[in-house]
Amino acid sequence: MNEKDDATLHDATLHALAGKLGEQAATRLDVEATARAVVERLRSEPAAAGWSWMQPNWLRIAAAAVLFVGGALVFRQVMSGGADAHRPAHFVTDDLRDLSADQLREVLSTLDETLDLGRHTAPEADLENLDAQQLRAVLRSLEG
Amino acid sequence: MAQPQPIAAPPLDAALIAAWRGGDEQAAGELVRRHARVLARFLAGAGAREADLDDLVQETFIRAFRAVDRFRGQCQFRTWLLTIGGNVLKDHGRRMGREKTVPLDEQLRARDGDPHERAEAGEAEAKLVAGLKQLPRLQREVFLLRAQQGLEYEEIAAALDTTAGAARVHYHHAVKRLKEMMG
Repeated sequence: MNEKDDATLHDATLHALAGKLGEQAATRLDVEATARAVVERLRSEPAAAGWSWMQPNWLRIAAAAVLFVGGALVFRQVMSGGADAHRPAHFVTDDLRDLSADQLREVLSTLDETLDLGRHTAPEADLENLDAQQLRAVLRSLEG
Repeated sequence: MAQPQPIAAPPLDAALIAAWRGGDEQAAGELVRRHARVLARFLAGAGAREADLDDLVQETFIRAFRAVDRFRGQCQFRTWLLTIGGNVLKDHGRRMGREKTVPLDEQLRARDGDPHERAEAGEAEAKLVAGLKQLPRLQREVFLLRAQQGLEYEEIAAALDTTAGAARVHYHHAVKRLKEMMG
């Protein structure tokens, strides 16, 4: 058999070669010593060996869980952010268009009391001098 | 005159596995004795250095015994063991941070016969081992399980969690590429 001269190596030759691979090395293995060593290791390091085998699997599961939860949060954030970005700004003041100047002053004074907005609004006395449009402007400024 | 005692059949792998599950260390030892050489041949064929062979065989058995609850008889215990051996060898190569080295001068040297024939056989095997190193892992393992271990495609497929058709395709790709590399 001379494979150097045979460009089209036959399957049977390949099988025969493969069948011999590692034969010598396997023959030299001291099977009895290997069996004793395996039994000894099973006896002496059961927990450690179990953990070292399990660890990569648990790490993979943990990593997958973190990625899943993180991805879900990012997705939710992006979706809600995207929706807000496309939604036109809405001011509560727009809903108060039908209120009279007196009613608007009452709203402003209520806000002043409950939210401590005194530093942002004019003194209550000054509200008396504002008309309805100016009062709406004050309310709108409070909404940012 | 004493009656000849009937020779007891050796326990099947399944019986030894069940005994090991029940804590019988001697059953584990018997499984090692039964399959260690075949495993060593497979590992050597897949590129393990002879100097590492004993450690790799031990580690493979340790992993197999630890994970024996996952073995449900989908294939022979020996075939399942060989696939674990493939994983152990891969991890070993990664840990060593180097390419798998094949001890051509040690394990492929024929010890009998005419020196000229011996040299030719050694050269052909060296080419085969070099070719196997170039193959993707799955192709290499399917080729070895088929050509070295003589397993059927169905058995290979069950061990590697694939189909017999896919195993057949991997084998033929492996043979084609090995012929090209060795031709």
